[in-house]
Amino acid sequence: MTHTMQLTVNGESCRAVVEPRTLLVHLLRDQLGLTGTHVGCVVGECGACSVLVDGALVKSCLMLAVQADGCTVTTIEGLSTSASTPGLPGTPGTPGTLGTPAILHPVQEAFIRRFALQCGFCTPGFVMAAAALLARNPNPTEVEIRQQLASNLCMCTGYVQIVEAVQEAATRLREWQQSSR
Amino acid sequence: MAAEQQIGRSAPGKEAPRHVTGRGRFVDDLTLPRMLYAGVLRSPYGHARIGRVDAAKARALSGVRAVVTPEEIQRRLRPFKPGRYAAGLKVAVPEYAGAVGKVRYVGEPVAAVAAETRAMAEDALELIEVDYDALRAVVTIEAAADPGAPVLYDELGGNIAWRGHVAYGDVEAAFTSADRIVRDTLKIHRYSSTPLEPFACLAEWTLGKLTVWCNAQSPDVICDALSEALGLDQVRVIVPDVGGGFGQKIHLIRKYVVLTALLAVDTGRPVKWIEDRSEHMMAGGHSCEQEFDVEAAVRADGEVLGLTIRDTDDVGGSVSTLTIHFTNKLNNLFNVYKVQHLRLEGRSVVTNKCPVVPNRGIGKPGMCFVWERMMDRVAQELGLDPIQVRRRNLIEAGAFPYTAPNGNIYGSGEYEALLDKALAKVEYDTVRRQQQAERSSVARTLSGSRGEPDKARPTGTLLTGIGVVIGLEPGGRNAARDMAIFPESKQMPGAGGVEGATVKIERNGSVVFTLGSVSCGQSHETTAAQIIADVLGVGIDRVSMTGGFDSALSPWGVSSSNSGNNFHLYDVGAVHGAASRLRDKLLTLAAHVLQADRNTLAVDDGVVYDSTNSITFAELGRIAYSNQALLPPGFEPGLQATWYHSHPHADPLMLPDRQGRVRAQYTFSSAVHAAVVEVDVDTGRVRVLRYVIVSDNGTLINPSVVAGQIYGSAAHGISVALGEGFVYGDDGQLLTLTLLDYGKSTTLETPRIEIEHHPVPDPFTTLGQKAAGEGAAIPSPAAIAAAVEDALSPLGVKVRELPLSPERVWRLINGLTV
Ligand code: FES
Ligand code: FES
Repeated sequence: MTHTMQLTVNGESCRAVVEPRTLLVHLLRDQLGLTGTHVGCVVGECGACSVLVDGALVKSCLMLAVQADGCTVTTIEGLSTSASTPGLPGTPGTPGTLGTPAILHPVQEAFIRRFALQCGFCTPGFVMAAAALLARNPNPTEVEIRQQLASNLCMCTGYVQIVEAVQEAATRLREWQQSSR
Repeated sequence: MAAEQQIGRSAPGKEAPRHVTGRGRFVDDLTLPRMLYAGVLRSPYGHARIGRVDAAKARALSGVRAVVTPEEIQRRLRPFKPGRYAAGLKVAVPEYAGAVGKVRYVGEPVAAVAAETRAMAEDALELIEVDYDALRAVVTIEAAADPGAPVLYDELGGNIAWRGHVAYGDVEAAFTSADRIVRDTLKIHRYSSTPLEPFACLAEWTLGKLTVWCNAQSPDVICDALSEALGLDQVRVIVPDVGGGFGQKIHLIRKYVVLTALLAVDTGRPVKWIEDRSEHMMAGGHSCEQEFDVEAAVRADGEVLGLTIRDTDDVGGSVSTLTIHFTNKLNNLFNVYKVQHLRLEGRSVVTNKCPVVPNRGIGKPGMCFVWERMMDRVAQELGLDPIQVRRRNLIEAGAFPYTAPNGNIYGSGEYEALLDKALAKVEYDTVRRQQQAERSSVARTLSGSRGEPDKARPTGTLLTGIGVVIGLEPGGRNAARDMAIFPESKQMPGAGGVEGATVKIERNGSVVFTLGSVSCGQSHETTAAQIIADVLGVGIDRVSMTGGFDSALSPWGVSSSNSGNNFHLYDVGAVHGAASRLRDKLLTLAAHVLQADRNTLAVDDGVVYDSTNSITFAELGRIAYSNQALLPPGFEPGLQATWYHSHPHADPLMLPDRQGRVRAQYTFSSAVHAAVVEVDVDTGRVRVLRYVIVSDNGTLINPSVVAGQIYGSAAHGISVALGEGFVYGDDGQLLTLTLLDYGKSTTLETPRIEIEHHPVPDPFTTLGQKAAGEGAAIPSPAAIAAAVEDALSPLGVKVRELPLSPERVWRLINGLTV
C-alpha cells in the first residue's frame, strides 16, 4: 500500500509516493535526492537528520513521511537560499565571503570561520538546529546554546568550536538585522 | 602582492563549505543504476552453535535478489589471514566474513540479503530461519579464565588466547633496591568513539573487476580482505567523505565489504549496505577492557625505579585483534618518565562480547592510565605532593633527543614547562586553597557517614577536586614494531612507512593535488594545501584536492592508513616532497622560457619572476602541456610531481635490536591535562568545572585544526571517564544498543576545554611537526580519575576503574562494592 503526498521542500512543490512506513528522512534522501540530511542513528538521538517542518526543528527520522503531507520542509540544501524560511529571521543570509558561490546563512559562515566541523557528518544537523535556535533566541548565552544543542551529537569536535560558531553567528545576525532595520 | 604565508596560519577549512551546505559526499549519498540494498542477519545470542539455516522463505520474497547463508560463506569464501593485529596467534583459527559453525557475540553477522529496497532486505532477514543451540556465554575476564568455563575456540583449548611479555632494564634490581613497593589494580572498560556515520559500503562488479566505495580508514585492509576472502585482485577501492573513523573503521568493516561484494558478484548488480546504529554498537568493534596489576618500585623521595605490569586484555569474540592492545603499549611504554626498568606481561582473553578494534590510541590510554594513576598512588603512599612526584621523574628538557629504554626516540619535549604552564593556567594554588576552605566547612557533615548510605546527611554537598596528569601522544607508525614482541613471526610485517602525494599545476595555472591517504575529518585537504601554497609560492585559493582516496589514482603505501597518527609524518613529508620537486621543475621551465638564471628566480602568488621578467603559472602551464618547442631539452613535459615519503630519520632502531628495542612510532607530542571537578556526594554525579590542556604538537601548520583535534579527543576521553561505555548482561546481551543508553556526552556534559599551545619543534620531521589526533584521548581518562579521587580524598576513596558514572561514584562514596 502506498500514499501519494504533496509537500514543499526548499521552496519547490513536490509530489511523492511513499509507503506508510517510510520515514521523512528517507523520503528526503532517497526519493528527493537531498542527501545533505544525514542518518546517524535513525532513532532520534543524534540530530544528524534535523530539518525544519513548517518552521519547527524536527528530527526527520522520527517523523513519517506521510505526516509531512502538505507541509513546508527546509533542509540544509535550502537553508542558504531560503529567503522566506518560516521561523528564521527572514534572511537570505549574508553573501559568502569564503570562496563559496552560494549565499550562506550566517550560521553556515560561522561554522566555516570557527572550524566548527571536522568530518562534517553532524554538520547539517547542527547548522539546522543552530539556525532554529537563533530564530527563537537571537542572543543566547553559552549555557543556553549548550542546553539547546544537546539534542545533537558530534563525535569529532568536542563542541567547543561549534559553540563559538553559534555565538559568532548570533552576533552577526544581530548586526545584520540592526543594519537592515 | 605577496601571497600570505600559510604554514602556521589557521587557514579556513577547505572541506567546510561543502559540509555546511549539505554537499559532502558520503557513501550513503551515492547511487548507481539498478542498485540493490543489502541487509545483514545477526546473531541474537552471545554464544551458540549454528544449526539448520533455512533461507527458502527469504529467497521467495518479492524483491529479494540474493541470500548468503553460513554454509555458503564457508564454501565460497576463504578465511582471512591472521594479520598484524593477531600477531600473537599461535594456532590457526579460521575467521570468515560471517559466522561459521558458531556465533561468539551478539550481532555477529550470520547471513546477508540483497533486495530491491532496504525495507525489502530487512523484511527478508526476518524470514531466514536459523536454529541456534545456545551455549553459556562467557562475559567477564574472570569467567573466561576459569578452567571450567565454556571454551569459545576449541582450537585454543581455553579462553586465554595469548600470553607474552616485554622487559627492559634490570627490573629485579630496581625492586630489590627500592625503599617501597607501591601496588594497585586498575581497570579500563569497553568504549568506542562511535563515529557518527556507521559503516557503509557500495560494491559494483563488472566483468571480473570489483569497485568498492566504502568508508574504511585503511585501504590496504580492504584490498587484502577481498583478495584473501574472495580471491579478487582486480579491486578498486574508493573512499569518499568519511563521517569519522577514530580506528573504528579499520578492521571489522572488512567483513561487510566482503559480504556486500559477494552479493554484488551474485546479482551482477551494484549493492549498497549501510550499517545502522544498533548494529554498529553491537558489532562495529569496541575498545578493549583491560585490567592491570601494577607494582612500582620507588625511593622515599618519589623517584620511580621500576614498574611491573600484568595486563589482561579482554579481546571479545574474535582472535583477529588478539594482541593490538598489548603491542600498542610499546608506543608510550615509559610515558614521559626517565624510569629505566619495566616489565609488561600480557595475556589476551576471548569472551562472548564484540571483538575489540583500534580506537583512538588503542592501548595507549590504558598505558597512560597506569602511569598516571600510579604517580598519584606513589605520592599518596609516600605522603608527597603528586606534582612533585611527577617532576621528580620527568625526562628533563636537556635530555632530548631522548632514547627510552624500549627504543623510542623522543625528538624534543619540555615536560616541566608544560606542567608549569598548566598549573598557572588552571590556577592550581587557588583551587587548592578553595578546596581547603570547602573541606573544613563540610568536614563535619561528612564524618561518620561513609558506609551508611541511608544515614541522613545534608543534601547538596559538593566536593571539588583537581587532577593533573601528563601524557605522550606518539605519531607516525613503524611497521616493524611488532617484531620486537613476536620475533618468531614468519611474515615480516614491513618496516618504517611509505606514503605518497602528487601535486600538479594545471594548464590554467591552478594547482591540484592527490594524497595517498584517507581523511576522516582531520582537514587533510586544508593542511596539505597550506604546505603546497607555501612551497610553490601560490595563493591557497588556487590549490585544491582532486578528491578522496582512490586506490587506482592515489599514490599510496602502508602509511596511507588513517591510523597511527600517520598524516603528520608521512603525508606532510610526501606533500612537501612532491611540491618541492614540482617547484624545481617549474623553475627549470621558467628559467628556460625567460632565458634567465634559475638561481635569480623567485616565486610569489603564482608568478615566477626576476628583476626584469616574469611569467605566470598559467603561462607556464600552457607551455608545459602544449608547446614542445618552448620546453628545455630533456625536460619531461607537464608540471606534475609525485613523491613517496619515508621518514628520513627512521633509523636507528627501525628494526628491533637484540634487546628488543625498537621505535614503535617516530614522533612524540605531549600534553599536560588539568581537570577541576565537582562531585555531588549525594548523587555521585561528577561535573567538570574546568579542563585545561597545555599541549606540544610541534610546529603548528594550522593551529585551529590542531586545536580541533585536541578538543575532540579530550571530549571523548572525558566522556569515557564520566560514564560512557558498553554494558553486557550475564547472558552476553549488549544492554547499550543506543547512544543514549551508552551514555555519550552531549554539549551539556562536555566542558569548555581550554587549550594553550606550547609547540616544541621536532628536530627530525619535515617542518618540525608532531602528531595531533589520538592525542588528548590518551591522558584525559586519567585526568578525570585523578580529579574525582582528589575530590573524594576526605572520604578515603580510591579510583581504580572507569567509568565514573554517578552510580559507581555513589558506591565509592558509600563504601559499597562497585
Ligand atoms: S538520525 Fe535522526 S536523530 Fe539520529
Ligand atoms: S564533525 Fe564529525 S560528527 Fe561532528
